[in-house]
Amino acid sequence: MDEKPCIVIHQLTRDFKKTRAVDGLDVSIPSGELFGLVGPDGAGKTTTLRLLAGLLDITEGEAEILGFDLRTQAEAIKPHVGYMAQQFSLYAELSVLENLRFFAELFDVPRADLAQRAARLLDFAGLSDFKERRAAHLSGGMQKKLALACTLVHQPEILLLDEPTTGVDPISRREFWDILTELHIQGVTILVSTPYMDEADRCSRVGLMFAGRLVRCDTPRRIRETLEGEMIEVQAADWQAAHKRIDGLPGVREVQTYGESLHILVDDGQKRLPEIERALQEANIDLRSIRVAPARMEEAFISLIRKMEAG
Amino acid sequence: MSVRHIWAVTRKEINHIFRDRSTLILVLFTPTLVLLLMAYALTVEIKHVPLAVLDYDQSQASRTFVRQITAGQDVDLYAYARDMDEITSLLMRGQVKAALVISSGFAADLQSMKGLPVQIIIDGTEPESGNFAVQHIAQSAEQFVNTALAGQLRSAGISAQSLQPLDMRIQTWFNPDLKPRNDIIPGLISMVLGFPALSVALTLAHEREHGTLEQLLATPISRTGLLLGKIIPYIGVGLLNVILIPALAIAWFHISFNGSFALFFGLSAIFLFAVLSMGMVVGVLMRTQAAALALSFLVIFFPGFFMTGIFFPLASMPEEMRLESLSLPGTHYAIITRGIFLPGVGMDVLWPYAVMLAVLGVAFTALAALFFRKKLG
Repeated sequence: MDEKPCIVIHQLTRDFKKTRAVDGLDVSIPSGELFGLVGPDGAGKTTTLRLLAGLLDITEGEAEILGFDLRTQAEAIKPHVGYMAQQFSLYAELSVLENLRFFAELFDVPRADLAQRAARLLDFAGLSDFKERRAAHLSGGMQKKLALACTLVHQPEILLLDEPTTGVDPISRREFWDILTELHIQGVTILVSTPYMDEADRCSRVGLMFAGRLVRCDTPRRIRETLEGEMIEVQAADWQAAHKRIDGLPGVREVQTYGESLHILVDDGQKRLPEIERALQEANIDLRSIRVAPARMEEAFISLIRKMEAG
Repeated sequence: MSVRHIWAVTRKEINHIFRDRSTLILVLFTPTLVLLLMAYALTVEIKHVPLAVLDYDQSQASRTFVRQITAGQDVDLYAYARDMDEITSLLMRGQVKAALVISSGFAADLQSMKGLPVQIIIDGTEPESGNFAVQHIAQSAEQFVNTALAGQLRSAGISAQSLQPLDMRIQTWFNPDLKPRNDIIPGLISMVLGFPALSVALTLAHEREHGTLEQLLATPISRTGLLLGKIIPYIGVGLLNVILIPALAIAWFHISFNGSFALFFGLSAIFLFAVLSMGMVVGVLMRTQAAALALSFLVIFFPGFFMTGIFFPLASMPEEMRLESLSLPGTHYAIITRGIFLPGVGMDVLWPYAVMLAVLGVAFTALAALFFRKKLG
């Protein structure tokens, strides 16, 4: 794959009235990369994507997209970029096909190609049977897929997708990511923000944003590896009591709750597992299962965010 | 600016107008409804003004005078008052709008032709009724004196054929019956045809509030292309009203239409371009529909009502306001509408106003494009 940088961001900063939403962002994204932007709500992901789509003025710093200066040539970049907003932003009273045609015309898709391309995209998005349906009457997942189809209609070299799967059922989410993976294989550069860690795991590189800053930027595997030590998964009848008992045991670095199971980060899994088991038995806590499990993006992410919040 | 982009936006807006019921009602039926209501409200003739009389003379002559005044439908005798206190109380309670005080010696003065000693008091909080009563009483008094004089002359053996001092014959052109409707309705038509400016003012804020603007701004459409694409469909809808509303005025109010309809249609299209561009200036300045609505009332509707010469002649406005009036498309269009409806004039008379409308349209569109930025924040 081509390694020429496609998006180069240097000290990108954006201030709103009272807050600095994006604070000195530095990142370079090569052509063909599937880059995931993760971070808690309010970290500045949406602002970053809007800045790159040319929808907001840059306060400080600069960004170059395909060699165009974002500060002065925002309009020249637009034909090459497909931007998908976080909330549904298509025309509810227009049909699926009318929405698609509308964006095709604004992006100067050649008239001769239009019908064929629309048919292919609707097929791609699984919307062929809903062409005449008004966008307002589509399910949340179908609306997202239509928005993606509208974003793809001019065959952009770069995709900027702002939480494209938020509020979508798991099956639609999987289908959506299958589409993204296919586009990635075709060589489209994709910058996608997501709150889901399993999605971040499918990216070629992940940037973690916190309070407007890009605090980590690496491959998913290496971000998982930053989680020092190992993870023990515990399921107990009274998980709250178990949480209290485990906190502060020797070798325990961090306890995270996932529903009723506890993910315990420890220095040495094989050594600490029997100790934890014994401690819970002594406290008369009914233990359902305990095992050493591989750490996921999610644990690594929460651990990193906790460190950030602690200062 | 690409024609294809403009057409894409225009078609989308037309779909929006016809599929969104509230927008359709706003653009198509509000002008008709407002015209009907205002035409009735503004052309009501004054009749039956209640009058109180305080007669200190209590003579045959004074009673005849009062009977003559209250004979028709114009002024009704509400009550004979006993004293000034009663007059005051009747006026204060709004039971009468005018009062007539006849001094003692009325009959004697009439006999000696010294001038009639009467006083008229009117309620200044409702000057239309009061002035109407004054006019009516003055006319009645003149007739009354003339009749009395003629009687005296006749008894002195003089023929009373040449009593009128002047022989005035007034001719009213263009609106021979001086029906207020013939004058006001063409003015009202020019006003209500500008109503789609409100929808245009709201259209950008509507997209902003529904989130669709975000996706739209991410496309390469030019600013002017986007704004024109949003103005053009409303010119189309406005032209439907240009057919509908004069038809209504002619069929319902029996207004005469003396000019060329083709000319009226063409000049209306230019007017719509101007007034809708003005609405677009409001639209690009305001971020929410509520704010756009408020500013529209402030800069489009109130001036459109008071400063375009529909109700108050331009010549009676202060100098500074007259300049502002000239920047309102409605001012020029009101002249065009009245000109085509009543005297039925053509382009030879109306061309300066048509030129002004075109200039205003281009200026407002340029101004809107200047203020509009393809950014969210």
